[in-house]
Amino acid sequence: MNGFGALLSKELRALFTAPIAYVVIAVYLLLMGYTFTAWLFVSQTASLVRVLYQAAVLLLLFVPVITMRTFAEERRQGTLALLLSTPASELAIVAAKFFACLAVIVVMLGLTLVYPVVLQVFGQPDWGAVYSGYLGLTLLAAVLVAFGLWISALTTNQLVAAVLTLGLAILLWVLDSLGNLLPDPFDVVVINCSLLTHFTPLSIGVVYLSDVGYFVTLVCLGLFLCVRALARE
Amino acid sequence: MLNNIGDVGPDVVSKVGATATGDSSMKVVPVVELQGLSKAYGAHLAVDNVTLQIAEGEVFGLLGPNGSGKSTILKMLVGGLTPSAGTLAIKGFDVCTHGPIARALVGYVPEEPTLYPQMQVAEFLRFMGRLKGLTSARLRDALDAVTSLLALAAVQRTAIGKLSHGFRQRVLIAQALLNAPPLLILDEPTNGLDPSQIIELRELIIRLAPRHTILLTSHILTEIEQVATRVGILLAGRLLTDSAGESAALRIALQVIPPVGLVLRDLFAALPGLTTVQELPPTAHGLKFELQLGSTNALQELAQALCRARCVVLELRPLHTGLEARFLALTARATQ
Repeated sequence: MNGFGALLSKELRALFTAPIAYVVIAVYLLLMGYTFTAWLFVSQTASLVRVLYQAAVLLLLFVPVITMRTFAEERRQGTLALLLSTPASELAIVAAKFFACLAVIVVMLGLTLVYPVVLQVFGQPDWGAVYSGYLGLTLLAAVLVAFGLWISALTTNQLVAAVLTLGLAILLWVLDSLGNLLPDPFDVVVINCSLLTHFTPLSIGVVYLSDVGYFVTLVCLGLFLCVRALARE
Repeated sequence: MLNNIGDVGPDVVSKVGATATGDSSMKVVPVVELQGLSKAYGAHLAVDNVTLQIAEGEVFGLLGPNGSGKSTILKMLVGGLTPSAGTLAIKGFDVCTHGPIARALVGYVPEEPTLYPQMQVAEFLRFMGRLKGLTSARLRDALDAVTSLLALAAVQRTAIGKLSHGFRQRVLIAQALLNAPPLLILDEPTNGLDPSQIIELRELIIRLAPRHTILLTSHILTEIEQVATRVGILLAGRLLTDSAGESAALRIALQVIPPVGLVLRDLFAALPGLTTVQELPPTAHGLKFELQLGSTNALQELAQALCRARCVVLELRPLHTGLEARFLALTARATQ
């Protein structure tokens, strides 16, 4: 993966020197803070399960904003042709953007770790569920970033990329409700394609290898589609 | 076979020899080789069965009107587009199957000088150098060399978005030269430049020519004519001609009153650079000729010879150049 280091460094600098990352992080933390406080007062329990669900739903909305500019902006500026003319492989270009976007989200999620710390101060939270919940959020974010990159690689318009990614993310999230309407054995297949189906066990502290494998498979699929989209230039 | 992209700098390529085919006889392969190259967008054929070879040291000008397929060929050469049919290789490395190795041999200057506007010039050049696999020491040397060659020292810390079009073009050329590529590809390099910048760029291309094989495109004949050693004319995706030596040809109109006793035919015969003489009907003022000269030097020799012979020169002006005449004839024939 020649040039990966240079590409990653450039992507991180581009993301963290632009206001968009800070705006996304600030608004996300504001909404999460509100959710955490409200839930704590209502439930009076040291649990983050509902908060993690809310965090996941907000990721569906916020990740497209982070990924929309990745390739669409490069294509609009004409710099994508320049990048593709170098010896750097398409995989290195895609991987650098993937890890840079994921880094923004990890920072964003990392800042929410203050919530379990608050719970620890005033109660006894289940740290197993907290760890698995954050693992689930990171895996979910990775899937959304991978598909967001792919869609961004297909268009020059950032807004189109964001809306399509949002549409795809919501569709994958609620696919289980469609699956419940289908006859056997299609219901099982469709339900198992849903992000929600595989996120739910992780959010309550149950880690199945199949759930982790599902997220990793979707990440690989998204990145593969993205590399193919570039190679088809 | 080279697998690691980090190993494919120009040094390594020169070590593996002049051929990528593993031929022990060190056969010299063309720097660029296109075989039956085509690119289709649906039913529209943007590039139609183009076959072309460019040898080391050539400055090849690809000439054609807008939309003739010039940029499409260049984009396929740098791996930005996949051909619909045919093959293309750089120094024997197939661009489709050995893309990273082939791309390491190319410095590419795209048509639009659109770069990362927020990046500083030095930062951008360092980034591109690292993408091209240069080590820190080589990158430092390369940065010094290109900064000096393209006079970028004053703008090194300037954001690219604040640079003029001409400076952005220089930055693009600088990044293309960083790894001293054997092949330099310039896509419409004079687009949007003012006359003095065009002259500077032309001089730069002439200076770079001994060290790089250069493939450049333009739709302006005079630009190509002044720098190219060989020219290909592309029309509607088809390579109509690929001929050497015509780019420098110059046609001129001459009207002259010779001194008594001078036979102009003898004077013309003594000029080796004068390739064709066509005598036109004389006017009331003097004798008229249409001459074809091999180069602009021959024009100087002709003027000096006429002065020495004490001729009264009433008219000495360039007509269509050889390249222009050929371009017009070919495009007219293709249109018919």
